[in-house]
Amino acid sequence: MSNETRAIDVGVGLFILLGLGSVVFLTSQTLGPGELSNGESYILQARFDHIGDLKVRAPVALAGVTIGRVSQITVDPVEYRAVVELRIDSNFDQLPIDTDATIATVGILGGKYIELGPGGDEEVLRDQDEIEFTQSAILLENLIGKFMLNRNATSSE
Amino acid sequence: MNDSIRACWLSFGQFAATFGGFQMFSLRLLPYLPKAILRPRLITEQIYSIGVLSLVLTMFGGFFVGTMLALQSYSTLVEFGQIDSLGAFASEALVRELGPVVAALLFAGRAGSAVASEVGLMRATNQLAAMELMAVDPIQRVVVPRFIAGVLSVPLLAAIFCTLGVLGAYLIGVHQLGVDAGAFWSHIQDRVDLYDDVGSGLFKSFVFGVSASLMGVYEGYYAAPTAAGVSRAATRTVVITSVWILLFDFVLTGITVPGV
Amino acid sequence: MAPLSHQESANLVEIRDVVYRRGERAIFDGLSLNIPRGSVSAIMGPSGTGKTTLLNLITGQLLPDEGAVIFEGRVVCPCSRQRLYATRRQIGVLFQDGALLTNLNVFENVAFPLREHTRLPEQLIRQIVLMRLHSVGLRAAWQRMPSELSGGMARRVGLARALVLDPKLIVYDEPFTGLDPIAVGVILRLIRQTNDVLGITSIVVTHDVAEAEILADLIFLISEGKVVANGSPAEMQQNESSLVRQFMQGLANGPVPFHYPGVSYSDQLHAMSGT
Repeated sequence: MSNETRAIDVGVGLFILLGLGSVVFLTSQTLGPGELSNGESYILQARFDHIGDLKVRAPVALAGVTIGRVSQITVDPVEYRAVVELRIDSNFDQLPIDTDATIATVGILGGKYIELGPGGDEEVLRDQDEIEFTQSAILLENLIGKFMLNRNATSSE
Repeated sequence: MNDSIRACWLSFGQFAATFGGFQMFSLRLLPYLPKAILRPRLITEQIYSIGVLSLVLTMFGGFFVGTMLALQSYSTLVEFGQIDSLGAFASEALVRELGPVVAALLFAGRAGSAVASEVGLMRATNQLAAMELMAVDPIQRVVVPRFIAGVLSVPLLAAIFCTLGVLGAYLIGVHQLGVDAGAFWSHIQDRVDLYDDVGSGLFKSFVFGVSASLMGVYEGYYAAPTAAGVSRAATRTVVITSVWILLFDFVLTGITVPGV
Repeated sequence: MAPLSHQESANLVEIRDVVYRRGERAIFDGLSLNIPRGSVSAIMGPSGTGKTTLLNLITGQLLPDEGAVIFEGRVVCPCSRQRLYATRRQIGVLFQDGALLTNLNVFENVAFPLREHTRLPEQLIRQIVLMRLHSVGLRAAWQRMPSELSGGMARRVGLARALVLDPKLIVYDEPFTGLDPIAVGVILRLIRQTNDVLGITSIVVTHDVAEAEILADLIFLISEGKVVANGSPAEMQQNESSLVRQFMQGLANGPVPFHYPGVSYSDQLHAMSGT
C-alpha cells in the first residue's frame, strides 16, 4: 500500500470518527435522564376535560422526574373527553391505583407535561389500567377571566 | 415588453428542461448504487477529496456561527432574565437549522463546485469518452463514487458544524458573558430533543447532501466540453444547489416543527 | 479459441451504405468502405467531413440511421451494453491528445484497462505495462503525471494504453496534429511497427497527406458523405479526379473553393456604392 493511499485512509478514518463523535456528543447532550430506557415500558390511560397544548412525547413526571412519555392523544366521541395514553418506564411499575395525573406547565409560560401524584393504596396500576383521578390543564384565559371577575366583585363591594 | 416576456418564458422552459434532464439522470444513477459497494476504494478516495478537505472550512464556520449565536441572543435573553437558556437556544438553532443549512451551503460552494469542475474537465478533455471506449462505464467509475461520498459526507459535516457551534457558544457564553456552565448544559438537555431536533437536523442534512452531490455530478457530466463550459458548470452547481437547499429547508421545516 | 471459419472475411471492418444524419444535414450519405485485416488504412478528407463521426460509428458510440457497420463479421450495435463493451475491448482508440486520466500517473494510466477488465495479479500487470511502455520508449517515465508530459509523449502513453488489452483493431484520431517533426517520425514508426509486429489492423484518421503516403497501405478520401476515391498511395497520386488532386497536392483552389460562397464581388461593390 503506497504512502499516499495510507494517508487517504487515515484522513477518511479520522473524518468519519470526528463526524460520528459529533453525533454521539450531540446525542449525549440532548438525552435527559431516564430517556435511555432499556425498552421495557407499559401503558396507562388517563382522561381529561381539557389538555391545553399537551403534545405527544411530552414528559410524564413523578416528583418532577421524568419516568415516561405521552404516547398518544385521542378524543372520546361519546364522553367528549381527551384520552391520553402514557408510556411509563417499567422500572416504575409500583404506582398505586389512586395515583392522580395533573396537566402541569413548565415554568410559567412553558409547554405542558403530566405530573403524577402517587396515592396510598396497596394495589398498583398495571399495563392498560386507567388513572381515575385527573386534573385538567389550567388555561391562562380562564385564570385571567377569574382574576378579572374577582376584581370586579371586590371593587364593587 | 414582449421580448422580456419571451425571455422569461424561454428561461423557464430551459429550467424545466434542465429539471427534467436532471430527474432522468438521477434515476439513471439508481441501479449503479448497489454495485458501487464492491469498490470501496473509489468511494474512500472521494470522501477524502470531498469531505476531509471541507473539514477545516466547516469547523471554522461552525465555531463562529456558534459564537455569533451566543452574542446575538445575549441581549434579548438577558432582558427576559433567561440568560441560562443561552445554550439551549443556540443549540436548538444550530441543530435544527443552521447546522444542516450552512454546512450544506459551505459544502456546495467548496466541494460541489469542485466536483462539477473535476467531472466537467474530464468531459472536456475526452477522458470520459476515452473511458467509454475502453469499455469502462464512466458513470460507475467517476460519477457514482463522488455522489456516494457526498451523501455520506454532508451529514457528518453538519454534525461537526453543530458540535463546534455548541462549543463556540459555550466558550463565549460561559467564559465571556457569564452564563453558568452547569445551567448551560442542563438547559440544553431539557429543551433540545434528540429525536425531534437532532433527528430532524440529520434528516435535513441527508436531503441536502443528496441534492448537492447530485447537482455537482450532473452539471459536471453534462458540462459543455470547453473551458467556459466547465466554469459555467461550477457556478451553476453552487447557485442551483443553494436555491434547492433553501427551498427544501422551507419545506422540511414546515413538516418537522413539532406542533405545527 | 474457435476454429477459423472458412467464411471469415478478409475485412476486419466493413462499412456498408451507411447514412448518418445530424439534424437536416446528412454527414454520411451511402458511405461504403472495407478495411482489410492487417493493413494500415488512412481515412482522409477536407475538414468537417465527419471523420470523427466515422470513428464513433465504428466503435458503436453512434448508430447509423441506415446501413450497417460490421466488425469481425458482426454488426456493431449499442443494443446490449455487454456486447458493445465486448466489441470495444477489441478496439483500441488513440485520441488526439492521448486523453489520459489526469489523476493517475503514466503507469496507472496504462494499467487502467487491465485493472478494470482483468483480475491479473499485480506482478503480471507490472510486466505487461512496463513492456508496453518500453515499446513506445517511455518505460523510464512511468512515474510522471500526464500534466508533466509533452504532447508527443502523452500520445505515446495513450498508444501504450490502447494496446494493453491486445486489441484487433486500433484507431488513431489525428495522430500527427500539432507535433514537431521528430515526434511525427516517432509516431510514424510506432504505428507501422505496432501494426506489423502485433499483426493487428490500423485505421488512421488524418489530413496529413505526406504522412499518410509514407505510412498507409490504403487511402480512403471522403468528401460530401461518400468515399470519392480509394487505393494505394501510388494509385491516389495518379488519380485524375480534380478533387483528389486538389487534396493530395494541397492546392488552395479547386473543387473545394477558396472563396466563401456568396454574392459576386462586383455585385456587392455596386450594392454598397448605391449604383
